[in-house]
Amino acid sequence: MQTDDLIRALAGDARPVPRHAVERRVGIGLASGGIVTLAAIAAALGFRPDLGPAMQAFPFWMKWAYTLSLGIGAIAATLHLARPDAARVRWLWLLALPFGLLLAAAASELIRTPVDGWPRLWLGDSWTRCSMMVASLSVPLFVGLLWAFRRLAPTRLRLAGAMAGLASGACSATLYGLHCPEASATFVLTWYTLGMVLATLGGVLVGPRFLRW
Amino acid sequence: MRASEEQLRIWMIGGLDGDADAYTALLGALVPLLRSFFGRRLRGAADDVEDLVQETLMAIHTRRGTYDRTRPFVAWAYAVARYKMIDQFRRTRHMVQIEGLEEILVAEGFENACAARMDIDRLLGGLSPKQAKAIRDTKVDGLSVMEAAQAAGLSEADVKVSVNRGLKTLAARLRGEG
Repeated sequence: MQTDDLIRALAGDARPVPRHAVERRVGIGLASGGIVTLAAIAAALGFRPDLGPAMQAFPFWMKWAYTLSLGIGAIAATLHLARPDAARVRWLWLLALPFGLLLAAAASELIRTPVDGWPRLWLGDSWTRCSMMVASLSVPLFVGLLWAFRRLAPTRLRLAGAMAGLASGACSATLYGLHCPEASATFVLTWYTLGMVLATLGGVLVGPRFLRW
Repeated sequence: MRASEEQLRIWMIGGLDGDADAYTALLGALVPLLRSFFGRRLRGAADDVEDLVQETLMAIHTRRGTYDRTRPFVAWAYAVARYKMIDQFRRTRHMVQIEGLEEILVAEGFENACAARMDIDRLLGGLSPKQAKAIRDTKVDGLSVMEAAQAAGLSEADVKVSVNRGLKTLAARLRGEG
């Protein structure tokens, strides 16, 4: 094919592109994935029965503050990495802040508790399931992001995959908080974090393969 | 004469707003820029340069939503070009490893595929994933161009171009030129 023919073909296809197309597309991808994840939680796990009162108490918001801040940071990084001319992400270390704060909360919780109460704080009732749930519930969100990336142009595929993985893991953990009644910072610090790390690793592994264009 | 950054940016924004004339002007003006960009880096391989120019134009088209109207345009276009060049290097390096292909196909769950399918996979394996998918969808699985475009989230023009270019490459390879 001649280059001139190609230009003609492409120009014939010059549909308008909305402003903020990147944000819009990532938003649509995450929202669609989020709906699937939420439906899966509603159908297979059920929301915690005390959701209303729990939402007026501290532990619920501690969990949400942790997962939401990580989610917002990771989504911002994903949006940034979706552009080919993206500069280095200098503020990526900020993602360590929520972890640091929760670490402090967990430490103070452990100090206030006698040692024989530690296993309870750490393992709760659902430590065997929590991480895998967070990781598997992140899959629809990650698929939504992969769809979004079909029109985006990441050049650092592994990092973009990692941030997309973390974004889906953190959103999945946020939604999982609607089901999971665990209230200890130590529990969240260990098992929620592990689930999000798994989601991030998944993104690192598949990023170079699925984000190529 | 080379178009200025300012002029290119105006055309690009026009194209993003759906102005086909501005967009045609933009793509036309990008061709010499891209030719010299790749020419300088690939010294001599004229076919490769033209392939990359076309690949980059298509990428600029499908990914044009990632251009931020407040930022420099040429830097964005060159970033796409640079990525396409690196991707090309990676692909040609991968094409050398043809011996492992059967294991790769088996590992990916193709073990039940019939022999003819294997041959097709072997041939298409040498193409870019996009071209391979376009050919597989339209020529093997029998989708229309429109259906294939919808399934892949691409424009019809993009699918047609992928099929044409992929078939050209395959034909050249079967004649023993590739």
